[in-house]
Amino acid sequence: MADWILIIAGGAAAGVFGSLLGLGGGVLIVPLLTLGFGLELREAVGVSLVSVIMTSSAAAGVYLERHVADLRLGMRLELFTAIGALVGGTIAFLLDERFLSLLFAALLVYVALSMGRSSISETETAGSDGRPYAVRNLPLGIVGATWAGVASALLGIGGGIVKVPLMHLAMGIPLRVATATSNLMVGITAAAGAAIYLARGEIDPYVAGPTAIGVFVGASLGSRLAHRVDLRILRWLFVVVLLYTAVQMFLRATA
Amino acid sequence: MIDFERTLGRLLIGLTYVATALLVVGVLLMLASGISPLSGGPQLDPAALPIDLVTLTPAGFLWLGLLAVIATPIGRVIAAAVGFARTGEHGMVGVAVGILVVIAVAIGTAVAGS
Repeated sequence: MADWILIIAGGAAAGVFGSLLGLGGGVLIVPLLTLGFGLELREAVGVSLVSVIMTSSAAAGVYLERHVADLRLGMRLELFTAIGALVGGTIAFLLDERFLSLLFAALLVYVALSMGRSSISETETAGSDGRPYAVRNLPLGIVGATWAGVASALLGIGGGIVKVPLMHLAMGIPLRVATATSNLMVGITAAAGAAIYLARGEIDPYVAGPTAIGVFVGASLGSRLAHRVDLRILRWLFVVVLLYTAVQMFLRATA
Repeated sequence: MIDFERTLGRLLIGLTYVATALLVVGVLLMLASGISPLSGGPQLDPAALPIDLVTLTPAGFLWLGLLAVIATPIGRVIAAAVGFARTGEHGMVGVAVGILVVIAVAIGTAVAGS
């Protein structure tokens, strides 16, 4: 019974954090399953991809209904994130698990640093929301989207941590639109990767079911809590958790 | 055009709730059967799915739910392709078809390699 509670509660915690901080939750689900429950990294990545699709689909549906997401830009970039996911999902099975763990530890440090920086620049970027915009630097966007797809399928993340800054800073997309469009794209990126893990028998339904439900409930709760929580404190707490998890993943890789 | 995107949004939300409901049923059946989430689940066997569903086997509902989760964004791309075709945006239809081809190649490659 303890396993049940821990898996669902862990998934819910990942969902709450992910939802409050604009992440899919993959950066927390993979360490939870590998460090907490002893799953192999590839199996945890498969479960994480399914959970990420579930939370992103519901959110993307709302963003489309409210016309916040840029469907046409999102689909153009999706083509390249899907190609990246195809490449990432294929090479994931050729790489050593320890190397993947090291890559994941590096990703966690990158996310932690991005989170630390964004808490400072948040007020500067929020003002551009809602204004008409023109997409610029599409070739750079295509390269970045492809890389986000590779990272997603390799490490079980949605890739929003790459796509949102790319669209906002490099392509001139307002932050709110970039976040919504990234959420829309995450579904296809993760679906391409998840299909590969599914076909290779790396998704365990007994782990994936409870985890995905936990993440879904947590993400729904997080969206309701957003206006009651001091995001600055939460962001710094998250940075500490990410750095601690990065150290644990590094130790696991080098053990 | 506005209605088209709203329809896509509703499709995504509806499919997500269907997938969630299937997973919840599967998890409740697991609990009722005393199965631990860490006991190692069965592999996907599409031929056994109908029987698993009729006999209320947890894995049947869990696999159907997981397939629904993965199919949800793919369904959105198919629906978008139909919508773009109706509005005469042939370039976007090509993009949608391209995405579907990449996913088909991903699945085909994985099945061949497994």
